[in-house]
Amino acid sequence: MRDYIYNFWQGLYTILIGMKVTFKHLFVPAVTIQYPSVKPQMPERERNRLYVNMDDCIGCDQCARACPVNCIEIETVKSIPGEDLGTTSNGKKKALWVTTFNIDFAKCCYCQLCVFPCPTECIYMTDVYEFSEFKREDLVFDFVTLLPAERIQKKKNFEEMQAKKEAEKIAAAKKAAAQANKPPEPKQDKPDNKEENI
Amino acid sequence: MMYDWLYNLTGSEILAMFIVSLLPLFVFILPFALFAVLMERKVSAHMQDRLGPMRTGYHGILQTIADIIKLLQKEDLVPTATDKILFNLAPLLAFIGSYAAFAAIPFSGFFIGTKIDLGIIFIVGVTGLVVAGILMAGWASNNKYSLLGAMRAAAQIISYEIPTLLIILTIIMLTGTLSLYDLSEMQTAYFWNWLILGGPAVGLQKILLIPFMIMGCLIIYTSTLAEVNRTPFDIPEAESELVSGYHTEYSGMKFAMFFLAEYANMFAVSAIVAIMFFGGYQSPFGYLGNTLGWTWLVPIEQFFWFTSKGLFFVFVQMWLRWTLPRFRVDQLMAFCWKYLIPFSFVILLLVGLIALM
Amino acid sequence: MNIYDIIFYLFAAVTLLSAFFVVTTRNIVRAAFFLLFTFFGVAGIYVLLGADFVAIVQLIVYVGGILILLIFGVMITNKITQVDIKTGTIHTLPAAIGVGLFTGVIGAVILNTEWFEIKTDIPVSTLSTLGRMLINEYVLVFELLGILLLVALIGAASMARK
Repeated sequence: MRDYIYNFWQGLYTILIGMKVTFKHLFVPAVTIQYPSVKPQMPERERNRLYVNMDDCIGCDQCARACPVNCIEIETVKSIPGEDLGTTSNGKKKALWVTTFNIDFAKCCYCQLCVFPCPTECIYMTDVYEFSEFKREDLVFDFVTLLPAERIQKKKNFEEMQAKKEAEKIAAAKKAAAQANKPPEPKQDKPDNKEENI
Repeated sequence: MMYDWLYNLTGSEILAMFIVSLLPLFVFILPFALFAVLMERKVSAHMQDRLGPMRTGYHGILQTIADIIKLLQKEDLVPTATDKILFNLAPLLAFIGSYAAFAAIPFSGFFIGTKIDLGIIFIVGVTGLVVAGILMAGWASNNKYSLLGAMRAAAQIISYEIPTLLIILTIIMLTGTLSLYDLSEMQTAYFWNWLILGGPAVGLQKILLIPFMIMGCLIIYTSTLAEVNRTPFDIPEAESELVSGYHTEYSGMKFAMFFLAEYANMFAVSAIVAIMFFGGYQSPFGYLGNTLGWTWLVPIEQFFWFTSKGLFFVFVQMWLRWTLPRFRVDQLMAFCWKYLIPFSFVILLLVGLIALM
Repeated sequence: MNIYDIIFYLFAAVTLLSAFFVVTTRNIVRAAFFLLFTFFGVAGIYVLLGADFVAIVQLIVYVGGILILLIFGVMITNKITQVDIKTGTIHTLPAAIGVGLFTGVIGAVILNTEWFEIKTDIPVSTLSTLGRMLINEYVLVFELLGILLLVALIGAASMARK
């Protein structure tokens, strides 16, 4: 009988204690962040969308090779001797035109492995995390600063230079051959020469 | 009285009756449900250090209106395997049951559906319709969870009706009336005339009654809480066990009916506690209208006091909901049969003795 | 036709229609639920007759108690959905005789009773009169009924123990 009354009292008393706790919490300020209008404080070293500072990129392809999911696609073209590409912020001379630098954020797993190998520290994580798109293709970001026409131009320049070099090489070889034994002339070079003139 | 006034105004018995019978719904239950749903969400949010709805209107005050509009627009889905007639009838029955209770509740001395002498017993009786509605919904849904929820609800409501009725019997014995209007009128003037403080009697009897009245108030509050299926007694709905109990299969307006019935019931039981122990519509400090000589102000003040008392108990229901975890079924039954019923019997007997003194 | 007539016909219609459904439906649970409406309608008619306490007791005892128990029983019964309720007619002749006799008796009673009208607009509450009569004049019957219920309760408890 004593236990019975005690149980009853205990139940009532503990309920009152619980109610006191919840009543106190009624006046504790809410921890909710009103998301789109108030942004949450992101931690330091957060890992969100990548950014490539193309002024510093030397097109070394190390980030693409480090990527575990192959989401970075880089194509480079060598510059022709006369061009000056400038230097990176830590003093390295740039020698390659970067004509393609695509990062597919649909594939990216935000592992940050591409950031460490970069010799010029030009690829890094930003604090942008709201970049959802309606199409998957729209998640492929192109970081190249060159205009499309310029990219074609650079490729063509390089090809022309290459062709010129080739022609010079062939010419030099021809000369050497002519000097060594004059009569036979290689006929298959002619179409090449024609193409170069176009 | 409202009816006589409307009868003089409209000149038609039928019209006056219709208006009087529809008034609680449109003046009180619908706005109350809108407000209570928002209050529930806000109270629960702030008790858990959240904010609750914030987007619709200032601090989300239009949230329930938006919800109602959404529910109204919804397609009226009736699953194929249900018992169509009963499925469509059940929400109506549940709502009729809880709405009929408002006929006997005195909102103020002026605004009361009917002054019937059987007030409390009438409310207890029509609440039986809610049980039938719940059972009907559970059966007609043709769904295991719904049926389980309905059975639990019925068992729970039937069990908890016993302590409720015993405490009501105690009050009847003490006051000699069943009419909620008379009960409110009895506890007039100041708050020490409320039944929780021994009622209008004076002397030793009053002091002796106080502990029993407090116990009785606690018991009837607990058991009516169980009758309206709210946490900690929400095993008929039990989201984590039974999806959502008897209204699992309902959507749209029929679901809204159940919802409305639940909230109307919440207020009805709070009102019963307020009328029986806290003076009903009576002000605790006398009326401003009487002091100033404006008699028209008194009913408005009474309405204010009644709604604020009712809302306070609704708030306590919400408060308890976010404080206590759910009972297990066996604990629920043990609590009713082993604790509440013996205690209410003891109160009944001892209050009878004190009243005889 | 005043409002009470409308309400009376409403309750009468509810009672008769649901009673008809109770008899004709083949689904036992549905029959039990329609019985609820019959009881409810009867309670309404009691109110119109000025027997308020009887009406409320009708609601509490039949709708709130017995009917719920009935539905519980039906639901707990195994294979409720396969139960066949015969709604065809058998033994037409004995049934006709029985029904005819019953109708005759009721008709005779209706015709031979001296009906009198109670001319009160507002029915007076029967509650306190009823209470006094139960405690003063019929106290023995009242107590006996209480004892009967107590015996039933103890019996049920002892049966449940086994």
